[in-house]
Amino acid sequence: MSETETDHTDAPVVLALRDITKRFGPLVANDAINLELRRGEILALLGENGAGKTTLMNILFGHYVADEGEVLVEGEVLAEGGDGALVPLEPGSPHAALDAGIGMVHQHFTLAENLTGLENIVLGTGSRLSPRLSTGAARRNVAKLMTRSGLTVDLDVQVTRLTVGEKQRVEILKALYRDARILVMDEPTAVLTPQEAEGLFETVRWLATSGLAVIFIAHKLAEVLAVSDRIAVLRGGKKVGEMARADADRRKIAELMVGRDVPQSRRTPRKPGVPLLELNKVGVAGADARQSLHEVSLTVREGEIVGIAGVSGNGQAALAGVVAGLTVPSTGEMILYGEKVTRFDPRRFSRSGIARIPEDRHHDGVVGAMTVAENVAIEEVRDPAYQRAGFVRSKAIRARAETAIRDYDVRCPGPDAPARLLSGGNIQKLILARVLDRNPRVILANQPTRGLDVGAQTEVHRRLLEARERGAGVLLISEDLDELMIVSDRIAVIHDGRLSEELPTETLDRGTLGLMMAGHRDEEDAA
Amino acid sequence: MTTETVSSNPTPAEARRGLGRVTLEVRQRMPAWKHGLILALSLSCGLAIGVAVLWASGVAPKGIYEEFVLYTFFNAKGLANVLVECTPLILVGLSAAMAFRVQFWNIGLEGQLILGGMGAAFFALNDIGPPETRLALMLIGGLAGGALWTVIPLLLKLKLNVNEIISTLLLNYVAFQLLQDRLYGAWQDPDRFPHSPQLESVERLPRIGFGDVDSGIWVALAAGIVVWWLIQRARIGLFMTFVGSNARMSKAIGLPVTAVVAGSVLLSGALSGLAGFVVVAGQEYRLTTTFSGGYLFSGIVIAFLARNNPLAAVVVAFLLGGLYVGGQSIQIFYNLPAGVIDLLQAIIVMSVTASELFVRYRIIWRRA
Repeated sequence: MSETETDHTDAPVVLALRDITKRFGPLVANDAINLELRRGEILALLGENGAGKTTLMNILFGHYVADEGEVLVEGEVLAEGGDGALVPLEPGSPHAALDAGIGMVHQHFTLAENLTGLENIVLGTGSRLSPRLSTGAARRNVAKLMTRSGLTVDLDVQVTRLTVGEKQRVEILKALYRDARILVMDEPTAVLTPQEAEGLFETVRWLATSGLAVIFIAHKLAEVLAVSDRIAVLRGGKKVGEMARADADRRKIAELMVGRDVPQSRRTPRKPGVPLLELNKVGVAGADARQSLHEVSLTVREGEIVGIAGVSGNGQAALAGVVAGLTVPSTGEMILYGEKVTRFDPRRFSRSGIARIPEDRHHDGVVGAMTVAENVAIEEVRDPAYQRAGFVRSKAIRARAETAIRDYDVRCPGPDAPARLLSGGNIQKLILARVLDRNPRVILANQPTRGLDVGAQTEVHRRLLEARERGAGVLLISEDLDELMIVSDRIAVIHDGRLSEELPTETLDRGTLGLMMAGHRDEEDAA
Repeated sequence: MTTETVSSNPTPAEARRGLGRVTLEVRQRMPAWKHGLILALSLSCGLAIGVAVLWASGVAPKGIYEEFVLYTFFNAKGLANVLVECTPLILVGLSAAMAFRVQFWNIGLEGQLILGGMGAAFFALNDIGPPETRLALMLIGGLAGGALWTVIPLLLKLKLNVNEIISTLLLNYVAFQLLQDRLYGAWQDPDRFPHSPQLESVERLPRIGFGDVDSGIWVALAAGIVVWWLIQRARIGLFMTFVGSNARMSKAIGLPVTAVVAGSVLLSGALSGLAGFVVVAGQEYRLTTTFSGGYLFSGIVIAFLARNNPLAAVVVAFLLGGLYVGGQSIQIFYNLPAGVIDLLQAIIVMSVTASELFVRYRIIWRRA
């Protein structure tokens, strides 16, 4: 717990959280948490989903009111270069938080999609009585900000048309434009590609050197170690550790986060069997490059995991669509269990034993308003075990859900709770329970661990490897190279709608994969 | 262990607003009794406002109690009138609930009701089939007419993604014109008034021996049970909720999305058509130009207040029927404008809508 080795111990404290406690009914989401943030410092706030990070930041930002404790911020800086005294921040007021120079970049962006970047940045800052946005002066100020921060983005394009990374830059600029002195970023890399994340780290470091204090909420260890000066770990609502980055190592932090030793997933050697799923020069003519495929060929055999590496938006959605039966290829053929597929129909595919773990688990994986039990059973409701002559047997469905909750360790209030109350990791476990319990022959897992914490990630890997042991063929689409290297038998790289040959994982290294993901193909290198 | 569940990240959409010393906080979960209590409290507020409005218009609380409670629900004649009133209301309420369940905003209840009445009248006026089966044929005609009137918006929606709010709404006018065409043409009564000849006695729903109540009430209650079974107990009901909440996901996990939507909407139309049948064969005994009046709005109000729950829709329709019956006598005895009933209805709807705020958020008052 030493703080002595950071470079910022002399810098003034700009933010202090004192004994913050917040209860939701019987649950203590934050339990007497103390945190300090100094000028120019990047503090990583680590913790699994549900550890209390977001609650804490919501209190800081005035969205919640703490039951106990207070938030102190640096008051007016009177003299140039001087330090302001710490003054209490009015609780429960986002306005006060904004005025105190606290800016927040939410994980889910809060941008008006049909306005331009500039309009989004300026929105709400001018006089409320002014009939229109005066953008002239604002444009110059934002331009200045962009040069200073290195965050560049086309200000006159509608936000809908920006990439995720660009949207995030708009969000950061929005905070900076409001003179944020403290920037809170809630899992900013969850939506970014590895390249974009790298760019973000550079920006954040640069902003910190210019005096901004940053709280970086994360649950991926690698990025925390890459970007932060100091690390605070939350678990179960309590602060369980705080250390300078120099004193931190992955194992130690992982243990602090999870509260126990994290087992490493490992593949056991296994001879693959007959081909289950074959794509033969499959092409999809999508509306744009993100939804197109060109002559993609691929084989997934019994008892193997085939990884598809690639930066998102390179045709993964189209590939997943074809394998799920949602997208009809315009050229080529798909062969399933040795037979050519003639009708692309998700219902048929699902019944023939293709399980699907969707990329966007919140929107495509569950219906939040429905109960956990209904979400678990929905794909099987046609089964006589769960219905007779059109009558739903709700007892059987409940029993099924209770088993799933137990076997897959889905943390929820019970089978009758609405699914929207579950955290991302638990929603994923629910989906795993739904699709894997039917012993599928082919599993399509699209970004199955994106946004999940270490514990849940390991669980997903274990389940996929278990299915592989059982003889299922897994198509794993992922951006996480570590994940692909750990669980895949063979890896192919998708870029610009084209898929490379699948190569045994043992022959690949991160460097090669990274180059291929960026679009350098073997033929080009050879030529 | 509920650690992970309760700290679900509040999304910006749910972002709370601080209003000075008042803060809204998203509630995590609420027990059913609390939900009921909040609803009851807001309803009481609404009713209190309603009483105040009536009082200000010269109806003393005693009079209000007598007209809306005593003479309406605790008096044989009044109760009979309520049952008559609520028979078509139950059916249009169920119709709206059925369509809204799959997020198909059927604003064409009245058009479907007109077509249902016309379908029933078609068999009656043309004396089709032996007299013993006439009523059954008329019932089928009502169902078919209503269902038919949803086919066009349904196809437009499913094939071309045309907004069903517009298409169903506009088809109400088309239905009305069709009705006029018949009533000023082939189906016009020899007395030259714009209505059809009276139905023969075999074409009328028999009275059940309680005031003017006709056996349409049994039809409506049976429909309530069927719809309740479909939505709450049958597999299709589960599918409907999934499709209604998230059509994209439902398709991806292999639910028959198109069939579920089409089935629900056709049934919705059929229920409105059935309402047309019970109005024509149960009370009016002929087609008139006005028999469809007002059922669109009532149907939507019932479905909304009942949260698309079929059994609740039956109860709400009954209470709303009481409001209409009581409102009619208030109009007569106290010489109040017809708008008063609409006003009362609107106050109730708004008070229930307002309760949503308290259900979704915890309101925290803090002193400075």
